[in-house]
Amino acid sequence: MARAPRSVSRRLLFAVAVPLVLFFALTVGVLDGVFRELANVALRELLAEQVVGLVTAVDLNRDGGIDVNLLDPESRLEVPGSGLYAAVRDENGKLLWSSASLSGTGLELGMRLAVGGVDFRYQRARDGTQVAELSRGLQWVYAAGESKNLVFTAADSTEPQRRQLWRFRQQMAGWFGALVLALLATMAWMMRRALAPVRRLEQEIAAVEAGAAQGLGAAYPRELAGVTTGLNALLESERNRIARYRDTLGNLAHSLKTPLAVIRATLGTVESADTQRATIQMEIDRMAQIVEHQLKRAAAGGGATLGQASVAVLPLLSELRAAMLKVHADKDLRIDLEVPAQLGFLGDTGDILELLGNVLDNACKWCRSRIAVSAQLDEARALPQRLSIVVEDDGPGIATTDRMRVIERGVRADEHVPGHGLGLSMVRETVAIYGGRFFIDASPGLGGARVELQLPGRSIPGAVG
Amino acid sequence: MRILVVEDEAVLREALRVDLTAAGHTVDVAADGEEGLYAGTEYPIDVAIIDLGLPKLSGLDLIRQLRARGKSFGVLILTARDRWQDKVEGLSAGADDYVAKPFHVAEVQARLAALLRRAGGWASPRLACGPIELDSRAQTVTVRGTAVELTSFEYRILEHLMLRAGEVLSKTELTERLYAQDFDRDSNVVEVLVGRLRRKLDPDDTLKPIETLRGRGYRLSLPRQSAPVAGTL
Repeated sequence: MARAPRSVSRRLLFAVAVPLVLFFALTVGVLDGVFRELANVALRELLAEQVVGLVTAVDLNRDGGIDVNLLDPESRLEVPGSGLYAAVRDENGKLLWSSASLSGTGLELGMRLAVGGVDFRYQRARDGTQVAELSRGLQWVYAAGESKNLVFTAADSTEPQRRQLWRFRQQMAGWFGALVLALLATMAWMMRRALAPVRRLEQEIAAVEAGAAQGLGAAYPRELAGVTTGLNALLESERNRIARYRDTLGNLAHSLKTPLAVIRATLGTVESADTQRATIQMEIDRMAQIVEHQLKRAAAGGGATLGQASVAVLPLLSELRAAMLKVHADKDLRIDLEVPAQLGFLGDTGDILELLGNVLDNACKWCRSRIAVSAQLDEARALPQRLSIVVEDDGPGIATTDRMRVIERGVRADEHVPGHGLGLSMVRETVAIYGGRFFIDASPGLGGARVELQLPGRSIPGAVG
Repeated sequence: MRILVVEDEAVLREALRVDLTAAGHTVDVAADGEEGLYAGTEYPIDVAIIDLGLPKLSGLDLIRQLRARGKSFGVLILTARDRWQDKVEGLSAGADDYVAKPFHVAEVQARLAALLRRAGGWASPRLACGPIELDSRAQTVTVRGTAVELTSFEYRILEHLMLRAGEVLSKTELTERLYAQDFDRDSNVVEVLVGRLRRKLDPDDTLKPIETLRGRGYRLSLPRQSAPVAGTL
């Protein structure tokens, strides 16, 4: 199932937050481990010191047992349940002495242990507190050549350590939590700032959609400038297209009214049926011509817009040449193409075919037998480069007055004189849509007409002749 | 002449049928591309009028399929889409001429007459006789791989000679390839064109591609090269 893609900023935030949180969790884990390890080491050292103190406090009594004379009578060893405990056993594990603090805790301190043995373990007192216990088996020499093997044990409650660890964890969680939040907040703020142009783009597009704006503003960062310029070009071409459709519809409706009026008037007259027929036939022809002209005008593309691929000109001209030779089969034509293969037109294939088709068809109609097509690209200019296509023929040429009439702006369909049309006003309009230029003069080489089209173009690399 | 009309619009189809029958032709009609393909394949058609926007099988595909089946009769296309893109597409697919809608039947008749006169204009895309090669789609000719610039009359004479290589073709027959009307038949146009063809195809006079048979006509004497067809008897 396809889900709608999440917003870019959320995605970015997510991509940053997940590793960040994982990283901090790992750090906290490692620090926690290190802290516990250090506390353990400190506890063992403390217990080892207690064992040494115990050893120095032990004395042999009269009946061969031992006495323990604690140096500090206020010591925690004397206070029951103080947390610090000690015991001495003989090598067989028999308890010889235990500290007063041990009474009532339910703890069994010490064990059998060989001389030189060390044991560290935890156990739980009756009240549930945990106790760490260190035992050492030692040979206690009390006179020259006289010794006893004893096991000294010291134990301490881990409660203070546990509290410390808890406090450490609380502090760590507080600091790291605050740090993560601060980093994420910074990140979110930075992303907001970085994505601000995108939000602006969104708003401006919404404004265009709502009809409040004509296009997008300028001053977008480099990464977005391509998109915004392209969108503006698209909007512009769409607007032109719509304007052209509107014009076409208006022209069509208005220019059809005249012939309709003539037909209506003709039917109302007392003229003979044949005359009426002829008039109506003429008006129908005129209407057909009007419809055709306006359709072609409306069908022309929107000029060079974004992402338009360039169309190779030579293959189109070759196809058109073959088509012209068929269509004008009643003439002994020779059409020479002198067009480099890499020339490309920046625009719609249908439009360039229409332009060249009309110009060539016109040349075929008027020439005696020779037509020459040449083209070149002004590669020195920036894109779009100027593609110029010249079609010359050896016909009678086009009179200067007709040239003016064809190029003149605003020649409407119903103003065309039937039979006298040169098919070139369509060409003029399409060339204008592409912001190009269109010239008619006399051909110096062939003596007939010379028609030049200047259009947006570009060189197509890799095209071979 | 037997004419096939393939047009889905009943009124136009009927008008063409009536007018062409009145002009003395035998007319077969088809309302869609598939019917048109059947009629064009099964009946001995001399020329076909094909609308481009047909149901079932488009006009372009119909022409392509007819040509692919070796049908070489003339094809006139009718099109409401009067852009050069559509016309060029139709002509490249194998049509010989076009008439844009709306049209006068008189115009269709004039175009048909011209087509009938040069009937059989469609050759296989490439023809080769000796070192001479002809590409009927691009209407270009090469000799030993070098392009030769021919006028369309020169081209058409050569194409006809190559299509019927080895046969003797009379001047009248060759003249008919060039003109729709009967005028000019006795002129020496064909002689001039053949002379120009000889000079262009064979400037150093070694190949001698076109023979003159006094009083009878001309013959292309180079062997026709057709690609060997594997696996057929």
